[in-house]
Amino acid sequence: MSDTLSYLLMAWSDPQLLMLTALGTFAGIYIGAIPGLSVTMAVSILVSFTFSWDVNDALALIVGIFIGGVYGGSRSAILLNIPGAPSSVATAFDGYPLAQQGEAGRAIGLSTVMSVVGGIVGTIMLASAAPLIGELALRFAPRDYFLVAAIGLLLVGSLAEGSLAKGIFAAGLGAVIGLVGMDPVTAQGRFTLGQVELMGGIHYVVLMIGLFGVAEAFYQLHNLDSPVVRQKVDKILPSFAMVLKFLPLSIRTSIIGVIVGVLPGVGGDIAALMAYDHAKRTVKNPSRPFGKGAYEGLVAPETANSAAVGGAYVPMLTLGMPGDAVTAVIIGALVVHGLNPGPMLMVENPHIFYFTVGNLLLANVFLMIFGLMGIKLFAKFVEMPKAVLIPLILVLCVVGTYSINSSMTEVYWMLGFGVLGYLLKIFGFQMGPIILGAILGPLMDTSYRQAMSSAGDNPVELLQGLVTSPLSLILSAAVVLILLGNTPLLKKLKSKLSPASARG
Amino acid sequence: MNKTDKMLVGERTFCVLLVLTSLVVFYLAYQISGFSSINSPGAFPIGVALVMIFSAVKIGVELIGKAKPDCSGWLDAFQQFRDTHFPRRTLVFGLLAVAYLAAIQWVSFYVSTFLFLVLSIVYLRKGRVLNAILIAAVLLVLIYLLFSLAFSVYLP
Repeated sequence: MSDTLSYLLMAWSDPQLLMLTALGTFAGIYIGAIPGLSVTMAVSILVSFTFSWDVNDALALIVGIFIGGVYGGSRSAILLNIPGAPSSVATAFDGYPLAQQGEAGRAIGLSTVMSVVGGIVGTIMLASAAPLIGELALRFAPRDYFLVAAIGLLLVGSLAEGSLAKGIFAAGLGAVIGLVGMDPVTAQGRFTLGQVELMGGIHYVVLMIGLFGVAEAFYQLHNLDSPVVRQKVDKILPSFAMVLKFLPLSIRTSIIGVIVGVLPGVGGDIAALMAYDHAKRTVKNPSRPFGKGAYEGLVAPETANSAAVGGAYVPMLTLGMPGDAVTAVIIGALVVHGLNPGPMLMVENPHIFYFTVGNLLLANVFLMIFGLMGIKLFAKFVEMPKAVLIPLILVLCVVGTYSINSSMTEVYWMLGFGVLGYLLKIFGFQMGPIILGAILGPLMDTSYRQAMSSAGDNPVELLQGLVTSPLSLILSAAVVLILLGNTPLLKKLKSKLSPASARG
Repeated sequence: MNKTDKMLVGERTFCVLLVLTSLVVFYLAYQISGFSSINSPGAFPIGVALVMIFSAVKIGVELIGKAKPDCSGWLDAFQQFRDTHFPRRTLVFGLLAVAYLAAIQWVSFYVSTFLFLVLSIVYLRKGRVLNAILIAAVLLVLIYLLFSLAFSVYLP
């Protein structure tokens, strides 16, 4: 017990580890805030020069970058409607409208506090239920991944405002863009139009920057002459009553974040979108309508994407399987340091597990400190005259896109997606479903084909599997229920039942 | 369907374009491996293309009950669409953006970015050249400090 406690407090008591965690968190926030600079990229670069370090020093820095980077994406999402990272796409839905109403300071303050809540819930779940959750993740068959992706894709129902058909079309378009490139099974080109350059596919961050950044820049040209909205930055820290009000929602969405984060290949981006959908479905009286600056729409994705970090560590530490791209890089780092991530890690090197738990908590403390700093400076950014801000947004989009793969072709694609996004926006299409399709389309394709292969290409056997396995049955039931919820059928059924019950 | 809902100018044409795009996607998806197997590389893309076709048609059906926009003929509709969504300001900024991307490879990132910032700020602010040059220079220095020095990002 005393050993466990000393491992837990190791990062808190060692000045060097304390400093490295603080440095990592600080750098992570600013790396995450820049579109195109991903946490995965930052961690990959860092890992290469931490090989000669002590393993605890390396892990402390990486944990800080991870926690800070996931949170940092919310800054540009709130201020400029350009998500700094894919996990901040959902944050922009209500965060940006808040900034447009002069509440950028409060929005960033609330997102900071809620990110910390999510991070702490995620870490507690990692500490208390890691082996159990890890085992559950192992039970997921390809057909279950297909169902999880299907549940994710059904979120178009809440992301598409006005017309469900437009949402479905947008998700389909996103899926097609996501499928461009080499088929991972047969290496055959799909939607490449015979272009070799397209065989590598189109990175969905390129799509994201184009749809959110460039399209927004073009859209803002219509409001060029409207007065600049002054940001209220006097009340950055949300009141205790406000935090308490959103606590039940934040705990629910944190749990969603952990569960989604645990699943390999599914990370904070999908967790945040699912949490946003959950908030939209369950919160009956939001502070403002969703999509127009509802605090609930900011709280849900921010808690979920931070909680997903704790979730992503579960399969890594218990099974040696990466929960997402960042933990895959961390596994590599652990192996270089002579450790063997997997079921034996807890037996051979228990200190790594408890050290990581303590370190994640510490990084969340630093997140609270650094997250609440510099908000006034950031808020000034949106107070710039639009004639300066709009060209600057375009330059940032170019830099962000180029930094992904150092490819000018992707920069041209980004501009093209921006024009497409602008056109779609004119006719009432939402950008969220396109990104959702681009992320989930390839996942659905891969898991569908794996599931079909494991059923011997027999659809009947696949369908049998969906109802005979308890896990698949639960997920199938969720798909059916959400599908019904998206159609007028359930509303009709409810309206038929309610007068009857009222009479009874 | 609410009869008071008005169709946007160009919405019908856009809808036809959506259906055509979906059909092209279906054709490209079919080209991958045809209907060879339920588990082929083209199976899922064909499914997605079918969903796109159905949803594009549904978007068109949703237009049926809406009132037509106030315009007389195609030319008038086109002019209204252009004036509303692609006014001169949007077109000029779009052309500046395209020229900027093209210029990056000819005259380097920093020179092209400086020129793009100066020209677009001058155009959008309708003048104040010196002010625009100063702002562009400051932004360029900030970009250099942040991206090149602090984060060592590869710039175009």
